[in-house]
Amino acid sequence: MAKLTTRVVALAVALAGAASACTGTTGSEIVSFEAFASGPADLPPDTATRGLSFTNGSGWSITLTRARLHIGAVYLNRSAPISGGQERQCFLPGIYVAQVTTGMDVDALSPALQRFPAPGSGTADHAVTGEVWLTGGRIDEPEDRRTIADVAGTATRGGESMRFEGTVTIGTNRKNRDVDPARPGAKPLCAERIVSPIATSITPTNGGALVVRVDPRAWFANVDLGELEPVSSESDLRRIPDEAEPPAADNLYRGLRGATGVYRFEWID
Amino acid sequence: MKFNTSSKFRFINPSIVRRSSVLSRILLLAPAAFALAFAQPARGDEPPPEPPPSDAKGAKEKEADDHQHEDATVTVRGRVPAPSRGASDFNLRVGELSRVPRQNAADLLKLAPGILLTNKGGDGHAEQVFLRGFDAREGQDIEFTAGGVPINEAGNLHGNGYADLHFIIPELVEGLRVIEGPFDPRQGNFAVAGSAAYDLGLTRRGLTAKYTHGSFATRRMLLLWGPTRESTHTFAGAELFDTDGFGQNRGAKRGSAMGQYEGRLGRNGSWRIGAQAYTSQYKSAGVVRADDVASERIGFYDTYDRRQGGDSSRYSVWGDIETKSGDTLLKQQLFFIMRDMRLRENFTGFLLDVQQAQQNPHVQRGDLLDLHVDSQTLGARGSARWRTKALDQTQELELGYFARADRTASSQHRIDQSGAPYLTETDLDSRLGNIGIYGDAGLRPFSWLTFRGGARGDIFTYDVLDACAQRSVRKPSAANPPGDQSCLSQQDDPATGGVRYREPHDRRGTASIAVMPRGSVLIGPFTGFTASVSLGKGIRSIDPVYINQDLPTPFANVEAGELGVSYARGVGDVELMARSIFFQTHVDRDLIFSETAGRATLANGTTRTGWVGAVRATGPWFDQAANVTFVRSTFDDTHLLVPYVPDVVVRSDTAIHHELPFRADGEKLTGALASGITYVGRRALPFGQRSDEIFTVDASASVAWRMFEVALVATNLLDRRYRLSEFNYASDFRTAQQPTLVPGRHFAAGAPRGLFLTLTATLGGT
Repeated sequence: MAKLTTRVVALAVALAGAASACTGTTGSEIVSFEAFASGPADLPPDTATRGLSFTNGSGWSITLTRARLHIGAVYLNRSAPISGGQERQCFLPGIYVAQVTTGMDVDALSPALQRFPAPGSGTADHAVTGEVWLTGGRIDEPEDRRTIADVAGTATRGGESMRFEGTVTIGTNRKNRDVDPARPGAKPLCAERIVSPIATSITPTNGGALVVRVDPRAWFANVDLGELEPVSSESDLRRIPDEAEPPAADNLYRGLRGATGVYRFEWID
Repeated sequence: MKFNTSSKFRFINPSIVRRSSVLSRILLLAPAAFALAFAQPARGDEPPPEPPPSDAKGAKEKEADDHQHEDATVTVRGRVPAPSRGASDFNLRVGELSRVPRQNAADLLKLAPGILLTNKGGDGHAEQVFLRGFDAREGQDIEFTAGGVPINEAGNLHGNGYADLHFIIPELVEGLRVIEGPFDPRQGNFAVAGSAAYDLGLTRRGLTAKYTHGSFATRRMLLLWGPTRESTHTFAGAELFDTDGFGQNRGAKRGSAMGQYEGRLGRNGSWRIGAQAYTSQYKSAGVVRADDVASERIGFYDTYDRRQGGDSSRYSVWGDIETKSGDTLLKQQLFFIMRDMRLRENFTGFLLDVQQAQQNPHVQRGDLLDLHVDSQTLGARGSARWRTKALDQTQELELGYFARADRTASSQHRIDQSGAPYLTETDLDSRLGNIGIYGDAGLRPFSWLTFRGGARGDIFTYDVLDACAQRSVRKPSAANPPGDQSCLSQQDDPATGGVRYREPHDRRGTASIAVMPRGSVLIGPFTGFTASVSLGKGIRSIDPVYINQDLPTPFANVEAGELGVSYARGVGDVELMARSIFFQTHVDRDLIFSETAGRATLANGTTRTGWVGAVRATGPWFDQAANVTFVRSTFDDTHLLVPYVPDVVVRSDTAIHHELPFRADGEKLTGALASGITYVGRRALPFGQRSDEIFTVDASASVAWRMFEVALVATNLLDRRYRLSEFNYASDFRTAQQPTLVPGRHFAAGAPRGLFLTLTATLGGT
């Protein structure tokens, strides 16, 4: 009798199940959102015309009059890399929850939101890290002549003052020369173009907006501009080479790729 | 020479007739109860479903067979049909519904309730079958046979149980038996959602030539031959097919030939011998991203990669005998199959070729996969069915076996833009064995009560040589760096912290046994109504790629139950059949399609609950079949919906045929109209999405005069632009500046309207 009762109940469940066909979900959601980039939110609105003044770790008082960055793409990840983990893989299918795949040049001296040319898309899953892709072409192309960063300004330290400028590209000039023959792909060029992991905590929603804040002050954190040579004996202009030497140039490049303090993700509902 | 394949035998044992007693009834009921006690329904004690035959004619025949003529002489033509397992046992007589437009033999499955067919792989790629909330993929969850010869391919890398039905010439299908659920002990491997058995035969006797020409430069030439003095099971047929396909990259060419001869064996038996050959080459458009279509970066019917497509061939021979010895009907069948397929698919574009440390630096080389399967199957099946008389009723017991051996070589490579393989993902050489035995009893204590059921046991053995077992090392040898090799000859050495030499291959073997009780109770008929309850367990063997040495074979177990009522009666000269079935099915280890792997991969347990309704009315000038299925499929752990399966499927097949009020040369013309209407509700997709609905109407009109017939067929008559398959996953077809790495909507387009003209002539027919 108990068994019969059980089966009658199960039949009722079956009936309810049939009636509830066409309802339910597979979980999560596909979302689309607007995407913006800007300089730090705490900058005055006229910073782009007046310049951004700060003192870096090498004691230089710097006034940045130009700080433009080309962002190739932005991604948010559901997982964080393992600490001290293995070699870098440029991307790992299956971990991404949001993307902005159309690049733009950002004026990092402007706190105003600058809209990416195309909206972003993703899933309504929680992201714990983000990536900023600094590339002009495909991420794994061996060469990329696109100017990623373009900076200019003035700097003083003690009685020394100068004008400086520089551009950064990430192509064969950033190729790792120290290759382990057993693991020639351990440090691929594509990894040089990806700034990651940038800690965040965002769950994308439909109709929201993703904002990438870029702080150009952090690019110069360890740049000793005194290492640079004047472009000519009569000029006070010093140009930052687009290569790994001298250390000032390399430190600018490293500052550009810093995962902490340089980039910040915000979500606006 | 004349063969009359009719034979007569009595399925009774006079010595046992009329020994009715309470004790004997108890003795008869006991084993049935025992069998049913083990036949637990889905997930514990929940209800199951029901009753008998499919079309009205079949129903009446079975009813007569089961309840009225136990003492009568039974006339057997060809094979003796298996007894009904309940309401979900659909014996589908094609009959006049053959006039409904159908692309191939797989389309005949739509005569059974709840079936949705899709195909994203091209004209020579097996149809993906959805049945009762199962995404049965290309056969992994449905056991297919043609003339008793298995079609599912054990060990097929694209999908274990892959079943390509394109070798079957639809005109040579006489009937189709679909059991929706694992309720018959004869059902073997892959009968998770159910089974479909094609009965081959040719009712149109004589020499028939048919030529079709129509949209997309489609041409089909067909020759059929059925000697008038032989049975319908003696036939030969051959077809050639050629099309450019709709949109881009959907061309296909195929040829198929089938023949069978049926002879008489003594006074009480028959035998058949047959052969079949099939070969095809086809292109495939694959899938397109919905956002690319919306932004007009690609057309609705276009393709990203014109290299997609495949080759397929199948050659087989079979023979079987069926005879009676005393009260026992004996059957024996042998078959041998050679099968070869190649498949090139690219679902993800440029996504998966991630740089590995041991590899030389490279760009994304493309995800086109090149899959090849080469297999040979040798097998046999046989049974002995004993009938006797007890309690004034016919009682039956059948014992049988099934055996098959498969040798399968499978490989899957990734192909770069130049066409060269750059990565070996899989390279398996498998030897698979399957032997199953079963017992099936049909016990009838009263004329209105029948217990049918028994148990089946199967052993599956695996001997798998993986030629690419070692694929990565943590610290590769600097002296002998592996570079871009896929299959490595070194492995990490924990003792030294370095690497040590090894051969790249690995051999793995295992074996497992599964026991599956199954049973049905049929009550009736009472004024045409028969109620039934069916319970059963089924299994699907696992892909050899998942086999580990000596670890138990991880079967997918299915437990199913249903409760149903059927009605079968003649009303005047109209035969009417109707059914209502509630069902529930649980699978402990399901398979879900992975776009990145290009095949189904293991997932968690799932449960399906639903209802099926079906009617068929056959009159002297019409034939109407309609069915509807509602089902809810959920994962056991999260209770989220199983993606891709349709929860509502509605299908209608209609044929009207009559003499026309015209004469030509003194002979009346006959005309026919037919339609096939399909509605599929919005399917659940990953990430909380729903697909578009599918609604299509196919129609045909034909006129026949003497030996000639001309027919105009329209597929997708309303020319609806629809998405046949839809998916949500990540892909990068390089249509954006940077890789698209989050899931997006993809679809395979359904065919636009097609118009086809067919001319048929039959010479020397009856």
